[in-house]
Amino acid sequence: MASFLFHLGRYFILMWRAFSRPEKLSIYRRRLLDEMVSLGLDSLGIIMVISVFMGAVITIQTGANIDSAFIPTYTIGFATRQSTILEFSPTIMALILAGKIGSNIASEIGLMRVTEQIDALEIMGVNSSAYLILPKITAAVLISPFLVIISMFVSIGGGYLIAMFTDVVSVANYEFGLQLDFRMYHVVYALSKSAVFAFIFTSVPSYQGYYASGGALEVGKASTRGVVQSSIIILAVNYLITQIFLI
Amino acid sequence: MIEVKGLSKAFGEKEVLKQISADFEAGVTSLVIGASGSGKSTLARCLVGLIEPDEGEVLYDGRDFVHMTAKERKTVRKEIGFLFQGSALFDYFTVRENVRFPLDILTDLSSKEKEMRVDSVLERVELTEAHALYPSELSGGMKKRVGIARAISPKPRYLFCDEPNSGLDPQTSIIIDALIQEITKENEMTTLVITHDMNSVIEIGEYIMFIHYGEKWWEGTNQEIMETDNKEILDFVNASGMMTRKRM
Ligand SMILES: Nc1ncnc2c1ncn2[C@@H]1O[C@H](COP(=O)(O)OP(=O)(O)OP(=O)(O)O)[C@@H](O)[C@H]1O
Ligand SMILES: [Mg+2]
Repeated sequence: MASFLFHLGRYFILMWRAFSRPEKLSIYRRRLLDEMVSLGLDSLGIIMVISVFMGAVITIQTGANIDSAFIPTYTIGFATRQSTILEFSPTIMALILAGKIGSNIASEIGLMRVTEQIDALEIMGVNSSAYLILPKITAAVLISPFLVIISMFVSIGGGYLIAMFTDVVSVANYEFGLQLDFRMYHVVYALSKSAVFAFIFTSVPSYQGYYASGGALEVGKASTRGVVQSSIIILAVNYLITQIFLI
Repeated sequence: MIEVKGLSKAFGEKEVLKQISADFEAGVTSLVIGASGSGKSTLARCLVGLIEPDEGEVLYDGRDFVHMTAKERKTVRKEIGFLFQGSALFDYFTVRENVRFPLDILTDLSSKEKEMRVDSVLERVELTEAHALYPSELSGGMKKRVGIARAISPKPRYLFCDEPNSGLDPQTSIIIDALIQEITKENEMTTLVITHDMNSVIEIGEYIMFIHYGEKWWEGTNQEIMETDNKEILDFVNASGMMTRKRM
């Protein structure tokens, strides 16, 4: 428990330092652009591949579980849309990105720690936490909603393919279900949620990397801890957000 | 100049630095020598505040570094160049970008002036050809030289070099030593070089401090170190095989 409080306190102090005013804006602007490009472009492929399969599977599963004549098949389209927008795109994508981006961040920053690159920054009078962490968090929080929007379209497209090429549901019914009772609020909710998740899967691994010590072995462990902890926190926070905003 | 007064540091039970006092003069290349694990790197890290000492004072031209606020420290740090034992080059930058980085951070030079400064510094460490390479593409000795170039590019008032010539061949070693001494004179810098290398001790040791298990054991010049009968120093010097050659 004492150790939990220690880490929590140190995490918040690190975040506070990371969000303090940067000393030379031009340098941060360049870092932010670099990070946005690398986070965004590098994740696009995996997001699309996973989303198309996800949408396809949701459609098939929902179809398989509705075998009552009283439930119309357009429910399949409706369910695919709802679960994609509310949970699968924001939450599953956050978990995927926690694995991909989170481990990357923790090992990158951890390696900089153990090879004294962070000390080198500090000696030059650079606020190393702001310089290293702030651009990553900002980039992820800004880019992540766009990735989630793309994921939503691709996932629903995956279901569409099922409608087109199998007889789980007709295209017309699938489309009808997609449009049924659509609420913009749900999309806004999902995108806000994804921004919160982005903060988690960048800041937690950053923390783990920043306080890594020792050698390559410890950096590897820090990276694993970063991914596991951000995934758990994302799921817990998801539960809270759902309780508060949807029920 | 840097004055050190009664500096002590322990990691847990282990006392790594014990009441170290010394004056490092401006315009002089001061050497800190001692066996592996004697506390040399820890001393350098305490002096620049990467490690907080438990006790003692460090004065940068009269400015009490240990008891400063973080903001005041930043002002002093802008005048410090530091070569790390492992070079600590930024992996994602090329050689040129590494050397330019402190200029971007610390100076208000125009882009053209910065590029010219980078070119001249790279020339001095003989790395003009390698300017577009990444650290992973460099040999250990090249990394050291880039580290030196990065440390001196903003023309610091205080220069710390943690083993600038470990891993260098004897010829490059001499060039690097000469370079450090030259810029120290040129810019009236206060320079502290940590080294194992007896060649350096003899070539550039105007002031030498010998650390033994965290204590200042001996201090003097390169003349004096050749004549001392201090047992620990003799052991250290003999182990390097230098004595025989020089005394011939
Ligand atoms: N952060 C730390 N925590 C605990 N012990 C440390 C730490 N840093 C250094 N030490 C210990 O302090 C002692 C001195 O280390 P230091 O790195 O200063 O030696 P050194 O004289 O630079 O040696 P070398 O010539 O091998 O570089 C060592 O015994 C080391 O184990
Ligand atoms: Mg050392």
